[in-house]
Amino acid sequence: MTRSTRIFMSCIYWAFVLYVFVPLILMVLMGFKDSKFIGFPITSWTLDWYVGVFEDAEILSTFGYSVAIAVLSTAISVVVGTWIAVVLEGRKFWGRAAMFGMTILPALVPGIISAIAFRIYARALGIEPGMGAIVWAHAVHNVPFVVLVVMARLSTLPKSQIEAARDLGADPFVAFLRITVPYLVPAIIGASIFCLLLSFDDFVRSFFLGGYEPTLPVLIFAKLRSGMSPEINAIATVALVLTAVVGVWAERFTRRTNKEA
Amino acid sequence: MTTPLVRIDGVKKSFGKTVALHPLHLDIAEGEFVTFLGPSGCGKSTTLRVLGGFERPDEGRVILGGQDVTHLPPEKRPVNMVFQDYALFPHMTVRQNVSFGLELKGMGRGDIVRRADEIMAFLELDRFADRYPGQLSGGQRQRVALARALAPDPALLLLDEPLGALDAKLRGQVQQELKSIQRRTQKTFFFVTHDQEEALTMSDRIVVMKDGRIEQDGTPEELYFHPASRFVAEFIGETNLLSGEMRGVEDGRVVMDWNGHVLRGRAPAGVPRTGEPITASLRLERLGFFGDRPDTANAVQARVTSKTFLGSRMAVDLEVADAAGARLRAYVDTATGQGVGDAPVWLGWDADSLAVLRT
Repeated sequence: MTRSTRIFMSCIYWAFVLYVFVPLILMVLMGFKDSKFIGFPITSWTLDWYVGVFEDAEILSTFGYSVAIAVLSTAISVVVGTWIAVVLEGRKFWGRAAMFGMTILPALVPGIISAIAFRIYARALGIEPGMGAIVWAHAVHNVPFVVLVVMARLSTLPKSQIEAARDLGADPFVAFLRITVPYLVPAIIGASIFCLLLSFDDFVRSFFLGGYEPTLPVLIFAKLRSGMSPEINAIATVALVLTAVVGVWAERFTRRTNKEA
Repeated sequence: MTTPLVRIDGVKKSFGKTVALHPLHLDIAEGEFVTFLGPSGCGKSTTLRVLGGFERPDEGRVILGGQDVTHLPPEKRPVNMVFQDYALFPHMTVRQNVSFGLELKGMGRGDIVRRADEIMAFLELDRFADRYPGQLSGGQRQRVALARALAPDPALLLLDEPLGALDAKLRGQVQQELKSIQRRTQKTFFFVTHDQEEALTMSDRIVVMKDGRIEQDGTPEELYFHPASRFVAEFIGETNLLSGEMRGVEDGRVVMDWNGHVLRGRAPAGVPRTGEPITASLRLERLGFFGDRPDTANAVQARVTSKTFLGSRMAVDLEVADAAGARLRAYVDTATGQGVGDAPVWLGWDADSLAVLRT
């Protein structure tokens, strides 16, 4: 690579970084602006918007609602997804490829389409819009990610590990509990955090399947309709910091456990 | 012979169209160190996996200590295995690895600690009890694998090429260790390898396998000096193969014609008929060098074509006189090797050194 192409390549890289981060930085900055109107110049700074967010009972309860949905749907996705991964990664059987394809499909269907489908299906089953319906939709949508992550880890488990456990007196179930499951823990934790973030972040399914109580993204959307205000920037910044911290921590955690194993 | 510990009774195994084991019959006595030796795909690992319960034979039975275990899963057999990659559990410490089999045997807590301590001390692992496998060297992991397999006190220990992952220097040392562990525990070891040196140094008995069949079964000395087939002669050590024609049997010795020289050799079980082609194996170190015609059973004159210095000994390549350009290779001690020059030498060897092969 010549010197000029190297400079050109790094310019492209930094342009990309700017493109990604400038909107976020602007959003964060506006949350500290002491004025109702979003835009430059910022003449004075304030923390009032943040104080407002943490004093607003509606925002706080919505945040709790979103977290509860994320935790419940993740728990379901992880159990179902791990179970499917173990079945698919085990012995070869007829229809395995088709089963894998169908498992992955929910991740590829456009959000709006799956949201409408869920809505119609929920009504047909008589499921009331609300928390249960949202949890159910999030869980179904997140299963493929769990399956992919757990299968990837499972495929690296040496066959001799299970054979050694069997050799030492473990029946297949005990071998699974004591060897396979501990081996999968880093993948399961990684997948869980990914699911938590996906669910917390979801708008379309939550919007279509929600009842009177909004999730955080739905609330932000509702607030947007009544006009942009730095309050929204403050909510978004809190959410951004939280998800970034959880994401980075999860990434480091999975890497560390992978190395130990 | 008392009843064998293990009886492999006509075990046959195929994978698809490939026959891994032709009906195999073998008895193993208690306390024996038996090595299955052969190239990859010869059926040695399949035999091991059948004994461990990881493969179901298509036909035949496996009898262990008088009990038919053919259809028992691995966890129900009093057999433990040292895996090729050791298969240590990465999320467990050395102590937890060693205790795993004891817990599943349903031993009490106190007994587990005592037995684990005992076996870890025996294999000098006590210092590493709280380490994870990832923190150990190759040799230490190998000992943990051995400790884990020995802890439940199995009737039979299976070893699947456990030295393959070690470097050459360590391997020699571990061979000695393994042999001495086997002597001290008086356990029956079933060892699988493709390395003839490992087989020769450790085994009481070697079973050479080829294409799913037993090629030869005997002590290391028997296999080395009296190989039954060309395959065994070439697989174990270095040898001269002498091809000639069968002349007959005299005083229990095979008489053969080798490029115009009459040689006397040790007869195999089934002697070929007169006039048929035969091959005999002559180990390199069995050739003696003489100034005059020796009175050994076999003697030929030869000229040195090249010498290779190997340290304590020399490899000497020779062209045999009046033998249509036939060549022989000999190992001699360095002093003798340096003594021979361009002048023709006499080579002599006794009839027992020339092993006529089954063809």
